[in-house]
Parts: sequence; C-alpha cells; structure tokens
Amino acid sequence: MSDKINYTEAFEELQGIVTEIEGGEISVDELSEKVKRAAQLIKICKAKLTTTEEDVNKILKELDTATKDGDDE
Amino acid sequence: MSEEINGKKIFSLLEVTNSIKKTIADRYKSSFWVKAEMNKLNYFPKSGHCYPDLVEKQDGKVIAQIRCNLWKDDYIKINSTFQRVLKEPLKDGIKILFLATISFHPEHGLALRIIDIDPSFTIGNLEKEKQEAIKKLQDEGIFRQNKTLKLPLLTQRIAIISVNTSKGYQDFLGKIEKNSWGYKYFHMLFPSILQGDKMAEQMATQLKQIKKVRTHFDAVAIIRGGGGDVGLSSFNSYELAKIIALFPLPVLSGIGHITNDTVVEMVSHKSFITPTDLANFLFQEFHNFSVPVQKAQETIINKSRRLISDEKTKFHSEAKLFRSVTENILIKSRNSIKEQVQSLFQQSQFLFKNEKEYLYSIREGIRKGTNTFCISAKQEIKQFALTMKKDVAAQLNHFKLIVNQNAQQVVQGSRVILQTRRERIFQIREKCSDKTLLLLKNSNLELNSIEKNVTNMSPKNVMKRGYSITLLNGKAVKNFDKVKVGDNIDTLLFEGKLNSIIKATTKTEEI
Repeated sequence: MSDKINYTEAFEELQGIVTEIEGGEISVDELSEKVKRAAQLIKICKAKLTTTEEDVNKILKELDTATKDGDDE
Repeated sequence: MSEEINGKKIFSLLEVTNSIKKTIADRYKSSFWVKAEMNKLNYFPKSGHCYPDLVEKQDGKVIAQIRCNLWKDDYIKINSTFQRVLKEPLKDGIKILFLATISFHPEHGLALRIIDIDPSFTIGNLEKEKQEAIKKLQDEGIFRQNKTLKLPLLTQRIAIISVNTSKGYQDFLGKIEKNSWGYKYFHMLFPSILQGDKMAEQMATQLKQIKKVRTHFDAVAIIRGGGGDVGLSSFNSYELAKIIALFPLPVLSGIGHITNDTVVEMVSHKSFITPTDLANFLFQEFHNFSVPVQKAQETIINKSRRLISDEKTKFHSEAKLFRSVTENILIKSRNSIKEQVQSLFQQSQFLFKNEKEYLYSIREGIRKGTNTFCISAKQEIKQFALTMKKDVAAQLNHFKLIVNQNAQQVVQGSRVILQTRRERIFQIREKCSDKTLLLLKNSNLELNSIEKNVTNMSPKNVMKRGYSITLLNGKAVKNFDKVKVGDNIDTLLFEGKLNSIIKATTKTEEI
C-alpha cells in the first residue's frame, strides 16, 4: 500500500469519491487520478475484510509482561 | 442429679446441656418461618448434608448469625424446587425464607434445622436485588456508559469470554471462521465459567486481563449458550455489571436464554439472544462495509465509462460546432477585411485628394506670399537705394568739403614747406657753388698731372723709350708659354714692325 491510511479513512474517502462522481463533480481531467485512488482504496477496504494482523502469541506475551509488571488497577 | 460440695450446688456439663436442650425443646415446640441471608451453604458432598451459615445484615454489617443444619433429604428436595422455580440452585449469597425448628444438641450445640425454603421469597429478593443494581447503576450515571462507546466500522478483533467446551462458543466459532463471504475475524478466548457462584469473579478477572491488551481488540463478546436458563442470577450482579458498563471496549453479549434480560445484558453495548445472532451481527457489519465498497467499485466503473463516453460525445459535437463556427467566423472576417480594404482605399483616395488640395492651396499661398514679399522687398530696396544715393551724395559732399579743406591745407602747408625747402636749397646751392669752384680748381690741377702721366704712359711714348709689343697671330703675347719654336711672330716698335720666326725660347728665371 502506498501510504498508511487506515480502512476507516479509506472507506470514507471512497464514499467521498463515489459521491463526487455521482454528483458529476469530477471532470474528465481528474477522472484518471480519482479512479486510480479509488482502486487503491477499494483494495485497502477489501484487504481489511479478509485479513487481520493480530497474533495470539504476541498478545499472550504482552499479557504475561503486564501481569508480571503488577496490576496497576 | 446435682451434688453438694462445700455448700455449693454443682451440675455436670451434661446436666446443663440436657437442661438447655429441655428448656429449648419446651420453648420451641413447633416449627417457624425465618428470613435470613445464606452467607455460606457449606454443602458436604460426601455426606450430602449442608451446614448453612446464616446471617442478618444491617448496613452491610452482620448483626445476627447462626449455624444451621440442612439434612441431605431436605437439601435434595429444596434444591430441585429451586432449580425448577428459580432457575438457580441453592447457593451462597441469596436471601431465603425458610421453615425451621430450633434444637440444641449437647454435643453440637444450638442449631436451626432448615426443613423447607420458600423459593418465591428468593425470587422476589433476587428481582429486588436486580432492580436495585439497575437503579444504582443508573444513579451513578454509568448504566448506558458502554453503549456510548463506538464500535469501529468493522468489528473484527474480538476478545471472547466463554467456556472452551460450551456449545455456544463452538457454534460461534464455527460461524465466524467458516463464513461464506471470506470475512476474516481475529478472536481470542479468555475462559471463564458463565454460571454459578464463581462466575462473576472469574469474569471480572478475565475482563481485567482483556483491559490490559485492549488495543488489540475491537470488542468483547460474552458467549454463552446451551446451558439453559439455569444459573443466570450472577449476570444481575451489580459489581459485574458495573465492570462491564465501565469497560473501555464495547461489550457484546450473546447469552442464550429465554427469560428476562440480565443486568449485564442491559449495560452491554449490544445484547443478542444467542451467540449465532451475535455472529450474524458481525457479518452484517462487514456486509455494511463490503457492500458499499463493492457498490462503489461498480459505481465508479460505470460512472467513469459514462463520463468518458459523454465527454467523447460532447467533444465530437464541440468539434463540429467549432468547425462550423470557425468557418462562419472566417467568412465573416474575410468579408469584413474586404470591406475594410475597400473603405481604406476610398478613405485614402479621399485623404490624398484632400492633401493635394491642401498642398495646392499652400503652394498658391506661398507663391502669393513670395510675390507680395518680393514686391515689398523691391520697393524697400528701391527706397533703400534712393536713400543710399542721397546718403552717399551727402557723404560725398561732406567728404569733398573735407578734402577741399584738406587740399587747401595741404597746398598751404606745401607752399610753406616748399618755401622753406627752396630757401634751404638756395643756401645749400650757394654753399655748393663755393665748394664746387674750389673742388674744380683742385680737380683741374689733378687732371693736368694725370694728363701728363697718361701721355707718358702711351705705347708710343713707351715704345720711344725702347719697349716693344710681340704679336702672335695679331694678339699681344703676354704669356711666354704661348709661344713655341717655329711660330711666326710680329714685333711692334716705335717706328715700325718686325716679322720674325722663333728659333728658340728661353724662360727667364724668377727673380
């Protein structure tokens, strides 16, 4: 992915582009740029639906550390 | 019986305990209803008996406490009634209304024997407690707190509180792991029993754990199912409900049951009747995200195509229009240029004509002006000439006068000078004639002497004295070298001439 945009932002930006294009606010000059961007955003959104980066072991390790450090609450 | 020692009446311990026993038995002949709180059930599985510890509290403090006996048969009967009516077993912490007898056993002491427990009292009490819990949470302003949290667009990472082996958990996992849309969820189990006395405590512990790693999760799901409606009363616990209400992540509950919502479900962010419903909710969230994305893709493709084709059409018609407009403009421009050329030509002609006339008039003006000027100049010159003539005449006259005067002056001056000169000349002449006479006399004398000399010097006289002149070829020989041997020479003497031929020459030595 080109930049670290999160899926929520990607989703919103995509909706924005759809609104723009539906409202006829996009000129042919901008179209290529917008479509390219939309493709990128769609990719981000679709990837989000089918992947997750969390790792149980990592969380367990973190829990372990947190517990050893003592409960602060 | 009692004996007397040193005047004291003394009882044996047994006598005392028997006495107490008798007294109590006499006093408490029949059974009676008592309300109390079941502090501890103290069930002994081996014997099957229970020895409940009952208390009465006031403001949280124990103000009365007694040990009870609940014999095996009574316990089994009461417990089954509870399970049936209350959906709860007989357990610690509940309020009970029980039928009791009081007895005293010499060995075990005083005890209440529980014969029966009225479950409706406990139900009412539990309900009362539930209502109190709700009210307390509301009063604290936290009842809806968890609902105010926002679920992310996609609830994807779920911390599950459930029992590994429970059917509800397995159902839930099966659903979310093998969904037909390929949605991917991350889930992690934080195991806790979900019924009974220990539940609230275990759940609280796990929630605490989740809190530590909350950044890895979007929501907490409490999954329970297949356990029937039994043992749900802990879900009404104020303490547990408070933890959930204040939990930093949205809590989703899927506690399968039929009866009224528990307090935990009420304070949850969202509550579902079954774990399957919860899973469906998660899918729906994903659909809500996925469908617009898919739709966006289609819309963008369609609209882009449409836009491009529209633009193409527009461009073509624009081009057409442009061409026709351009042609029109060209024709118009051409005509306009033609007209302008014509007009320019006419205007130029007109201007030339005008200029020509103007120049003519100027030329005429100049000519006239020149004429006039010449005439006036002529006259002026004439006038000037006249004036000049007069002036010159006058000047000449004037000069003549001056000249005349000067001439007269010159004449007079000259006369005077002449007179003076003449007189001077007379004087000089007189002086001159005197001196001249003297000079003449002297000169005469001198001349006479010279004449005498001259006569003496004449060749005749010289020759008389014996001198001769030698002539060679008629010319006097003055130079010895001119005469050579053999030359014919003439020698002039006083009275004649001799002709001779040179026989020899001898040069005289210098003296």
